[in-house]
This record gives sequence, C-alpha cells and structure tokens, in this order.
Amino acid sequence: MKNNSLIKDVELFLDDKPSVYALRSKARLVVEKVFFSKKDEAWKYTDVREIINKDFEIVADNDGCKNSCACGNECNECDDVFIKIKFCNGRIHIEDYNLPKGIKVVVLPEVLYEGEYKKYLYGTFNIEEHPFAALNGVYLEQGVVIEVEKGVKNLKPLVICYNSDDSENRMFNIHNMIILGKGSELEIVEDYKNSSESCYLMNVVNEFFLDNDSVCRHYKVQKESFNAYHTVLNGVKVYENANYKQFYLAKGSKLSRNETLINLEKVNANAEVYSMYIGKSGCLTDITTNINHKVKNTSSTQYAKAVLEENSKACFQGKVRIEKDAIRSVGNQLHKALYLGDGAELNCKPELEIYADDVKCSHGASSGEIDGEQLFYLTSRGIGIDDAKKMLIDAHLEEILQFIENEQIKERFFL
Amino acid sequence: MLKKPLLEIKNLFAKVGDKEIIKGLNLVINEGEVHAIMGPNGAGKSSLSYILSGKDGYEVTSGEILFKGKNLLELNTEERAREGMFLSLQYPTEIPGVVVSNFLKHSLNAVRKYKGEEELDTVAFMKLLRLKASELGISPEMLKRFVNVGFSGGEKKRFETLQMALLKPVFSILDEIDSGLDIDALKTVSEGVNALRREDNSFLVITNYQRLLSYIVPDVIHIFADGKIIKSGDKELAIELEKNGYASFLNEEKNEE
Repeated sequence: MKNNSLIKDVELFLDDKPSVYALRSKARLVVEKVFFSKKDEAWKYTDVREIINKDFEIVADNDGCKNSCACGNECNECDDVFIKIKFCNGRIHIEDYNLPKGIKVVVLPEVLYEGEYKKYLYGTFNIEEHPFAALNGVYLEQGVVIEVEKGVKNLKPLVICYNSDDSENRMFNIHNMIILGKGSELEIVEDYKNSSESCYLMNVVNEFFLDNDSVCRHYKVQKESFNAYHTVLNGVKVYENANYKQFYLAKGSKLSRNETLINLEKVNANAEVYSMYIGKSGCLTDITTNINHKVKNTSSTQYAKAVLEENSKACFQGKVRIEKDAIRSVGNQLHKALYLGDGAELNCKPELEIYADDVKCSHGASSGEIDGEQLFYLTSRGIGIDDAKKMLIDAHLEEILQFIENEQIKERFFL
Repeated sequence: MLKKPLLEIKNLFAKVGDKEIIKGLNLVINEGEVHAIMGPNGAGKSSLSYILSGKDGYEVTSGEILFKGKNLLELNTEERAREGMFLSLQYPTEIPGVVVSNFLKHSLNAVRKYKGEEELDTVAFMKLLRLKASELGISPEMLKRFVNVGFSGGEKKRFETLQMALLKPVFSILDEIDSGLDIDALKTVSEGVNALRREDNSFLVITNYQRLLSYIVPDVIHIFADGKIIKSGDKELAIELEKNGYASFLNEEKNEE
C-alpha cells in the first residue's frame, strides 16, 4: 500500500452505520491507489510528496470541541456583526448559534447520523479525481451544513473561524456544505488563522449549491503558519441566474492549494473568482480553478494578483471549459504578478477548452517589479522606503480589494 | 541683516550612468530667496533637481552640497524630504491603487514624526487636508482618487502645491511647474506657491519660459547650460533671454573660452 502513512486506524463516529462506513471505505480505496505525484497533470507544479511523507496525527472526536476548550473567543470583535461558527483544532465548537430566521446550521456528525442532505454530499465533484478530498473522505466526520431558505436575504455575514493553536503534527479534515435556496443571498467568510510555527495539514472540502437566482459571496482569508500545509477543494454548482463570487487572500502556509471546481449548470449562471496572494520565501501557493460552462449564456471571471517575494513559488492554473451547448458564454481570466526579489518562480497555466461557437474567452498574464518612479515619488515625500514599498504592494492588491463591497469584511483582507 | 545660506552647492560634478551631466556647478541660495534656473532643453536642469532629492541612478562624483549646513549627500531621499526639501515634479507620477488622502497622511505623519511632532489621527488629518485643499480649489472628490491617476495637467500641479502646503518644506524645487498649464491654471498654481513664501523658506524655480517668472518673481535668475550656470542676474535677464534666446548667451560663453 503506497499511501499507508495517510491511512490510520482511528475510531470515527458512526463507523457502525453502514451508509457512513461505505462513504469512508470508498474514499479509502481512492487514497490507497491514487498517485500523489507530479505526473498527474493537475499537480504538475505542486509537489505534495512531503505532505504524504509526514506522519500526521488524525483529529477525530464526534463530541466536538467543548465550550471549555482553550481556543478562547478570538472572534469576539465580530460578535454583533457576524454569525460565527468555530472549528478549534479541527473539531467543531458546539454552541448555540442564535440564528436569525431562515438560516439553518447543522453539524456534520448530526447530518450523518440523521442521514440528511444525502443528495448534496459529494454532489459537486468526483472523489476519484481529487486525492486530498478523498483523504478528507476517509475521515469524514467534522464539518457543518449551512442552509439558507428560499428567498432569505440581508442576513448578517456568516464567519467560519478555523483556529488551530494546538496543531503540531496534526491533520484536520473538515467537510462543509453551503446550500442556498431559490433567490436567497449569503455572505460567508472563511477565516483560517494560525500565528504559530506549527506544521500541520488543514485539509478542507467545501460544497456550494446555489439554486436559481441566489447569490453567494465567499470570502476566504488564509493567514496561517509558515510551516503548515493547506489543501482545500471548493466544489460549486451554480443554477439559473445564480451568482457565486469568491475572494481569496493567501498569506502563509509552506504549501497551499486552493482548488475551486465550478459547474455552471443552468442559463445565466455566473461565477467570479478573485485571488490575492503573497508568496513567501520558501513557500508554494497554488491556485487552481476549473470552470465548466455547461449551458448557454453562462459567464465566468478569474482574476488573480500575486506578490512574489524572493525564492517563493506559485502556480496559477485556470481552466475554462465551454461545452457544446454553451453558446454565447463568456470566460475571462487574468493573472498579474509583482516580483519583489530574485529567484521567485511562477507557473501560470491557462487552459481554454472550447467546444461551442459564438463564445468570448480571454486569458492574460503580466508581471513586473516595484516601479522605481513610484517609489521615488513616495520617498521624496518623506515616506520611509519600507512603508513606501508596502503601500505599493497594497496598491497592487487594491485592484481586487475594491470589488469587496462590505467594508467590515474588506478589513479582514488587509495584510 | 546678514542672509543665512540654506543650500550651498560647491563645484559639483555628477553623472547618470556614464554620462556626465553636471560639470562644475556652484550655487548658493539663502533663506527667503527665490532663484530661477532657465536653460535650453537637455542642459541638465531636471537632473539637478533629482540629484538634490537623491534619486537612484544620479551619482555625485565630486563637489559638495550643504543643506542647512548639513552634508546633504549623506541623507537618503526620505531623510531629505523630512529635513524640508521638496521636489515638485515636471510630470508627477501616477500611482494606481494608492488613494490621495492615504498617501498624504503617510507623508505628513512621516515628516511630523521626524520633527518630533505628534502624528495626526485620521480625523484631525482629514480636517486639515480638507481646509488646505479648499484653499487651493481642490475638490474633496479628488482626495478620494488614486494619486495623479486621471488628473488633468492643472490638477496634477495643484496637487503638488497642496503637498507643499501640507508639508511646509523650507526648500522647494519647482521643476517646470508651468508645463501643461493654461493661463488660468498657471495663475492658481502661482498664487498657491506665492502664498507659501515666507522669510525662512526658499524656492528654486526651473522653467523654460519667462512667463512663469512674472507670476512667481525670483530674486535671482541663472542661465544654465551644459551642466553649469553660465550667467546670473536679476529679472531683467529673463526678459533679455525671452527676446534673444539662449543662443546669444551660449555664443557669448564660447567667445570667452
């Protein structure tokens, strides 16, 4: 067995329930035979062997995190403004959510126990094509299901905080599902933070279902330990007239992969994926996005802005597939990089697969360094060189930040 | 009363890359004086302004510059600015993504901090900024825009003047502040500059045209050619220059050689 360091004998909640056990067994079979290798085109620029060779401890505990846990209340500042869900060291922090009408939050163990939401679980991707999602499935237990009822709007934004202060050498597997009813709207913030130097694997699967005319703004702020690994798959299904927008800030993690797989299922479905990332020295940032335009009049945008420090590595893979029936679809993709030092490596791989006529697709990439004239202008006004550089880096990212309309959420994106 | 020198340039030689651009320049500007430098294109006037503000790539090979009695060449660009030197650029740089008010707050607080003054919080700063802006006819809307992006020629120069009004430099270099301005804009900008004149601050006005000097009246005019000053005089010199062009002065110098 190749990947045996990944498969551990741990006791999970509901192992005695055949339907749940079957899901885990299926995932286990995938992990046992999958090659986590650069030979796989989807992982060509991101070598994950060092993750596979780590002997991470599995976090599993159906009871969830108790209120007495040491994780504190790091999100206190946002209590009034946000609905807050916390994961402490990979386990959901059970609490009363005091939810407004029209939104339901159910923890995954309960969902599995009741056998609810079956048609949504693994409804957005094929587990055999996503090795880390399969790994996540081996330990399927922790997570949360958020459901917004038909027509419900103007909710407070919902924040999922992933705190991991006791994380050394652990692997966290979390599976969330976000379900938006017809015409509903939700702003969801994922806040990954860890200011320690721990080495751990944060392995998360999110599945989004956007029914007709719904709007989902998905904000992800990732500021993690520089020794951590972060692998996330966002599976998204967008139906008629619905709109999915993702804003992603990546900073930290030795290796991070944010993969988003979007299916535009019905006419006028729209998806936008905006990414900002700071590549740190010795770190690898991988942003992979696959968008399938399945029917006519669908549109997608991918726009990424990178700041690459000395000896950092990055990979931007953006695939737009326009199927035969998806006439009059629009797919745009753009990547702009700012290099701060020597030895940075960027692999930009745009892929357009177009099987329909009468479509508009574009892709582009540009790169440059901090502009000497701009730096001179700022310093000639008394601004110190380091501050001036920081202002210009922020300015580079500002072009994406300005798309975030909610000011309180935008603040979370500041470096 | 004996005048105190603010800027003293002594036998300065400088180059950009391999090209020598300043060739033995001597100039003393006292507190409260306005000097104008006129000269043909390519004479090195703008280069002089970059050398004074310490831009990368401009290398002093010999000579000395004293600013307030201190060795200017030991200071980097931001330190010179904090000491009270200001360069109004001929073509102010556009910086997409940096908002005017944020830029000015960083700038003013960096200068205040250096002088040991208390830094201004956002509320106090915005109050001051709006006041200074309205004095120069700058709309509050402009303060929310990105630095110099989409500004008209006049707006750019007015914005440079606003920065001077905030930072209160003791020595300002105005590099072709008249370029790209129509008569009305020229008047507004000149009035803005004149309002900043005090007994203890000085200006070096770089221009190609006599016209500006009838708005900002200099105490001394220098004719600058081939990396040095070839003639100095009062404002009559500018009028003579306007009449006869640079060629007569350049020939005069050749004959002397």
